Amino acid sequence: MKKSTRAGALTAVCAIAASALTGCADAGGGSGAKGSTTLNLATLTLPQSLDPADANGSALPFFQAVYDTLIKREPNGSFSPMLATEWKYNGDRTELTLTLRDGVKFDDGTPLDATAVKANMERFAKRTGAQAKTLKDVKSIQVVDKTHVTLKLSQPNPAMLYFLSDAAGLMANPASFGKPGDPLKTKPDGTGPYELDSAKSAIGTRWVYTRARNYWGTRLPYENITITYFNNETAIVNGLRTRQLNAALLQTADQQVAAESDRKLTTVPQEFDFQGIVLFDRGGALVPALRDARVRQALNHALDRKTMLSKIRQGRGAVTDQIFGTQAAGYVKELDAHYAHDPAKARELLKQAGHASGFTLKLPRVSAIVSDALASSIQTDLAAIGVKVTWENVDAGAIRKIFTDRGFPAMVMNLGQPADDWIGISDYVLPGVFNMFGTTDDTVRELLPKIQRAPAGEAKTELQALNRHLVEQAWFVPFYRLSYLHVTDGSVKVTPQSGMAVPSVYNYAPAK
Amino acid sequence: MLSFIARRLAAGVALLFVISLLSYLLLSIPDTDVGRQILGSGAPQEVVDAKNAELGLDRPVPVQYADWLAHALRGDFGTSWFTGENVVQTISTRLPVTASLMIGVTLVTAVLSLLLGVWAGVRRGAADRVVQVLGVLGYALPGFLVTLIIVVVFAVRLGWFPAIGYTGLTESVPGWLSTITLPVVSLSVAAVAGVSQQVRGAVIDVLRQDYVRTLRARGLPPWRILYRHVLRNAAAPALTVLGMQFVGLLGGAVIVEQIFGLPGIGSMTVTYTTRGDIPVIMALVMVTVVGVTIVNLVVDLLIGWLNPKARTA
Repeated sequence: MKKSTRAGALTAVCAIAASALTGCADAGGGSGAKGSTTLNLATLTLPQSLDPADANGSALPFFQAVYDTLIKREPNGSFSPMLATEWKYNGDRTELTLTLRDGVKFDDGTPLDATAVKANMERFAKRTGAQAKTLKDVKSIQVVDKTHVTLKLSQPNPAMLYFLSDAAGLMANPASFGKPGDPLKTKPDGTGPYELDSAKSAIGTRWVYTRARNYWGTRLPYENITITYFNNETAIVNGLRTRQLNAALLQTADQQVAAESDRKLTTVPQEFDFQGIVLFDRGGALVPALRDARVRQALNHALDRKTMLSKIRQGRGAVTDQIFGTQAAGYVKELDAHYAHDPAKARELLKQAGHASGFTLKLPRVSAIVSDALASSIQTDLAAIGVKVTWENVDAGAIRKIFTDRGFPAMVMNLGQPADDWIGISDYVLPGVFNMFGTTDDTVRELLPKIQRAPAGEAKTELQALNRHLVEQAWFVPFYRLSYLHVTDGSVKVTPQSGMAVPSVYNYAPAK
Repeated sequence: MLSFIARRLAAGVALLFVISLLSYLLLSIPDTDVGRQILGSGAPQEVVDAKNAELGLDRPVPVQYADWLAHALRGDFGTSWFTGENVVQTISTRLPVTASLMIGVTLVTAVLSLLLGVWAGVRRGAADRVVQVLGVLGYALPGFLVTLIIVVVFAVRLGWFPAIGYTGLTESVPGWLSTITLPVVSLSVAAVAGVSQQVRGAVIDVLRQDYVRTLRARGLPPWRILYRHVLRNAAAPALTVLGMQFVGLLGGAVIVEQIFGLPGIGSMTVTYTTRGDIPVIMALVMVTVVGVTIVNLVVDLLIGWLNPKARTA
């Protein structure tokens, strides 16, 4: 009797334990089942805060869930109405008038009107957010009436509509501005399709959004969106395999291979960043040889891009010699193969430029970007034409020194290839962080004003001419476009977003 | 006893102060541009400088430390420079995750090590050899490899446990159990290997003592000799190693939390330290020092309770 009681108790314990353990497989990470009302996304990006003034690049989905932008950017990069229903430039493109959607209100009843837009944009430009610079050309903002606002620009800015569909266009409740403790940082207050569920969220780890009642716009397909932060892709791939996660973007080649080997997972590749050497010192201030275009062309000819892509990125990407991405109007397909791998020609170019014996190139090395294999590959290829590369290790936190001290002639970087041409031009061609010596030439000076003043889509010829010029003059030494992989557990269909590595929250839908 | 506890606590407070000062200085030495880290490489320098000024980083390091200390003494550890989250709040949401792991591993290690160590020490022969081989294996296998194998087999392939994530104990007890089981098993492998060898060695040493031979000669039953005399005397080295394992677990937790995507303070330490988020790192250092002080105190008290001879030491 005693024995059977013990056996029964043991069986009961085992049953409870088994049901507990199997039952909680779901509880561990959320629902990934087909037809689920929750979309579980993984991210490697930590938003600086949930205040739109701090919004930036790949953190945008955190904001899109709770804030609307003035203009919506569709997956193909075109613009459509959101909080602004219409927009129009004046003749010289220095005034942009927006017509706002009438009747949109924040939760506390504050209307989203022209005054709110002005307050948002002025605050955004004044704060120290990474994207504050995007409104630098906005001289003033004029409230025309309740539903009309005019941005007066100090000069035409072809990327302004893009910016209004990005961080600068996110609209928060002005009633939250200036409150002590800056509540927007952790308690977002927007007109977006979702609300942050603070009780279920753990800021810095997991953000849980629930559908906003009375959302003015089209409802998105999911009742809830959960974004979970991971600091490595191994855990993300495991989460996708066990369907605890529904979708994620993978950047590393190894994890992309792992995801592709699982037949249950669906994958969509996308090219966004390019990797290459940004030649800061085209004026020859630090390395006089770099002043000569033939020397820069020699560097381009020296690199065996195909082998680099194959060995270092396992072929995940596409070799290129241009900084313009495939979605940009300035992109010219044949420029992807402008510089053939030709060490003999490279040596000849160096000889013509009077540097037959080569020279030394001291480059900073940030280990997160320049792997051992990449460092060795660049060093070997350039050594073959007599250019000695010496690497100086730079801690990721000390990158500032590269830009402030201007002690390096060039740097290997991963840089975005925006779909909007002017953003690329502003970042890489105009004087600034990536053109720290402010070098330019007559062709660039001639083309830029034409591009800047042309209506959208009407400067393709000039953009392609500029691109061709930059490639021929070897302003940069690009290696290849990096291929990223959108992976889902099969229950979700994801549409890549033009101009962003990470899809917008609007781009997810249940798979049919 | 009370004065012993008071002295240890006072030493803990002094340690806390010294380590906070050293940590702050060490964190301030690297020429890390926090503003640039936050805003990205494309941000204009004047905006980066403004951000650094906003964070108070344009002040001398001693002034920054004094400011931090003044606030910390009031329980205000500030907000993260990178995410704007309240430091105390964010650590309090993550601490239960790591605490669950560490307490779970310590319990599993204590029970299994005791059983294996005593079995090997008393039985010797084949049992001893089996425990020793298992011990060497547990030590030799790299922790990350054990963890990866466990997650692939039991979560990805068999689907018995979740591969990622954490469910709080207050949210769901079964959920909590399921999410910490594999991480605890992963971390316990090396810990059991180490502590069981200590228990084995200590048991063998005590069994060789003259007083044990005398007790046997007096006809006391073997179980009584083992439980009343051998284990009490063998407890000190085993508990000391267990205490050290507990403290050292934080290092192992870093890897396990990353592989299982657990939002604990181990993975948090990696993320925030590489960024140089001083308010968060300082709070983590303080939590760790307090934890280590408490664990050491508890170990000393336990040893004293189990073995009265140790109380005078």
